[in-house]
Amino acid sequence: MTDPAAALDARILAAIAAYALDDDAFLALALDLFAYQIAHSAPYAAYARGCGFDAAQMPRCVEEIPAVPAAAFKEQRLATFPPERGALWFETSGTTRGSGGRHEFDTPALYEAALLASFDRMMLGDAQRLRYLLLVPEPRERPHSSLGFMMDVVARRRGDGEHGWYAHDDLLEVERFLDDARRACAEGVPVCLATTAFALVGLLDALASRSCRLALPAGSRIMETGGFKGRSRVVQREALYRDASNGLGVPIASIVAEYGMTELSSQYYDAPESRAAIEPRVKRAPPWLRPLVVDERGRLLPAGIVGTVRHLDLANRGSVIAVETEDLGAAVDGGIVLLGREAGAELRGCSLDAEELLHRRG
Amino acid sequence: MADDGLRSLPAQRIVAHIADAAARWRDADFPPRVRATAAIAQRLGYSTPVIEYALDRLFFGITAQGLETAIVAELGAVAALDGPLARTHAPDAWARGVEWAVVISSDTTVGVALVPALFALCAKARVVVKDRSDALVAGFFATLAEEHPAFAGAAIALPWDGGSDPVEDELFATADVVVAFGRQDALTAIRGRCGVETRFVPFGHRASIGRLSARGVQEFDAMRADALVRDALLYDGEGCLSLHATFVTGRTGALAQVASLLAAAGERAALEFPIGTRSPERTAAIAGYRNLARYRSTTRGGAMIEGGNAVVVEASLDAPPPFLPGALVVIPISGDDDVAAYVAAHRLPVQALGVDTVDADSIALAARIGAVRVCPFGTMQDPPLAGHHGGETRIAPFVRWIDAR
Repeated sequence: MTDPAAALDARILAAIAAYALDDDAFLALALDLFAYQIAHSAPYAAYARGCGFDAAQMPRCVEEIPAVPAAAFKEQRLATFPPERGALWFETSGTTRGSGGRHEFDTPALYEAALLASFDRMMLGDAQRLRYLLLVPEPRERPHSSLGFMMDVVARRRGDGEHGWYAHDDLLEVERFLDDARRACAEGVPVCLATTAFALVGLLDALASRSCRLALPAGSRIMETGGFKGRSRVVQREALYRDASNGLGVPIASIVAEYGMTELSSQYYDAPESRAAIEPRVKRAPPWLRPLVVDERGRLLPAGIVGTVRHLDLANRGSVIAVETEDLGAAVDGGIVLLGREAGAELRGCSLDAEELLHRRG
Repeated sequence: MADDGLRSLPAQRIVAHIADAAARWRDADFPPRVRATAAIAQRLGYSTPVIEYALDRLFFGITAQGLETAIVAELGAVAALDGPLARTHAPDAWARGVEWAVVISSDTTVGVALVPALFALCAKARVVVKDRSDALVAGFFATLAEEHPAFAGAAIALPWDGGSDPVEDELFATADVVVAFGRQDALTAIRGRCGVETRFVPFGHRASIGRLSARGVQEFDAMRADALVRDALLYDGEGCLSLHATFVTGRTGALAQVASLLAAAGERAALEFPIGTRSPERTAAIAGYRNLARYRSTTRGGAMIEGGNAVVVEASLDAPPPFLPGALVVIPISGDDDVAAYVAAHRLPVQALGVDTVDADSIALAARIGAVRVCPFGTMQDPPLAGHHGGETRIAPFVRWIDAR
């Protein structure tokens, strides 16, 4: 008898390999995945029942598939396999009470296949072997960082045989980075600088303090990810990209934002045709990942209307297919446009709020 | 310099003028009020019925009797503001108003700066109000000036844009009294700009909670639910007097019954007080809270009932209030000790304690948790003028006593 997980994985891997999945095929696979997950994950089954769905009453469309709030990963174990079969887990960010959650996998195969397929098309369209300079968490130091895992896979499988890690929590090894970057320049090897937005700001500050500018070899590119949540210093993306282009000698169009979250197995990237400008850029999902923009009641919104973004990720076979976020965005032709948190938005009223209470509690 | 015109008026007349001006603002069709309503709606996004309710509560509360009651309670007599009065077993004394008072409303609460400003005027102080510009205070001051020209020079409204106005340095440094409403960082910054001898009266952000006693649970019905829901939902729960969490005392099943009644009340409240417009960020946060509450309810149990624009959520003692519009948080408890422990654990600065019955137990609970007001459900958002907002006196900060013996 065929293992249902293996059978599903085979279908999902085929879609990833083909990099194609039409609407009907997506729905069919999504419903089979949903049925599998409610059969193997008690919390998701209970939640689905609460939303009116079970094996006998299946969703009719992708919009109806119950989406678990991302914060639920911090509440309970959301996995379709027993803990002893876990092969890999990534840690989600902490809550106000300090505890994070886990996204667990019984095999890295889907995750690796999904990340490489997207990276190949969205970052390596020219199939270049790049040298990876990594300003993201190193797996040796942060073994449960999904970003570190992802870039480790990319660097090992798509790199030129050399790569370096330069970020250690909030500390950057600037001199070593500069040495390696200059060596790549001398050798004429194009690089991929993979960095969080915060680390990129730190690097550019360090370069400026040394009155140093780099001209990375032609074909070099930057993959920027993450925002400034919880950071004392926030730099607007427009200024960040211009400074990065000037300081590192990389064209604006070769600076690409990746958008992912620990609760997903797949990533979005800036759509190539939208990279000429810095804002707005369209985030494009691979075929097995579908974003839905919904209103506060979970109803699908028409294109152009701002709502919260829900993700249906078929590569999330071992957890939950649909994840609801509080990220704001709007559906547009070819993807979604994500909206940053409005800086300086006026707070109303004289009530305490959650942020202030947190501050008071230290 | 104090405004001579206002100094020359007997306090009783000032009170009467203020009460008369407030009476004009009670008319929803009074043109300045219509303009202020529109400005508030545009800036804060509250629906018109909500703003009308707020303005009604504000201006129906400003009466000669209310002002006089507060003044007499704190100073002994209204005439104490006019000159020395004889006092039994104490020196004759004159509650002379200070020269300058400044009231800062760095938040957006509707009309919060007005009441202290009016008491400052009753003390014959010259007052500058700086608040978020919705024209309410400026409009009311214009009406006062129509009542008597002395108010024109004594009551000044200026916009507050976060503290960057260079005029403020001299204003804060020379003011006798600075009353400030705002977040802790805003209050700290304002206090730092005040003179050494400036009397600083801060009103920081606070939360309000409710407690249903075991008897209150037994007697809980649709009418009481309507009252409690109004306290929670008005102004999107964004006031310091908004009900942010309700503790329900009693047996198993008590909470489910209360939650059900509250959800039904939420449906009715949606008709009476429709929601206005909210920022996408706020909307996303509300949706996120609702989704997580549904998830918790279906996977772990506990009440989660939607009613109108509200969602009634059974929460645990572990989590602080979410401080989100429409969130009616109910927390089962076995007694008042649980409430006190919750407030201590979450370091909650409590403004008001809503209760089913104001009695010795509820007053004792208020004292334990640092609440400065105990009141029945349904009245939390309607504080009396002669009460002590934030635990402070109303007019006393604006006078300096002159003993005359």
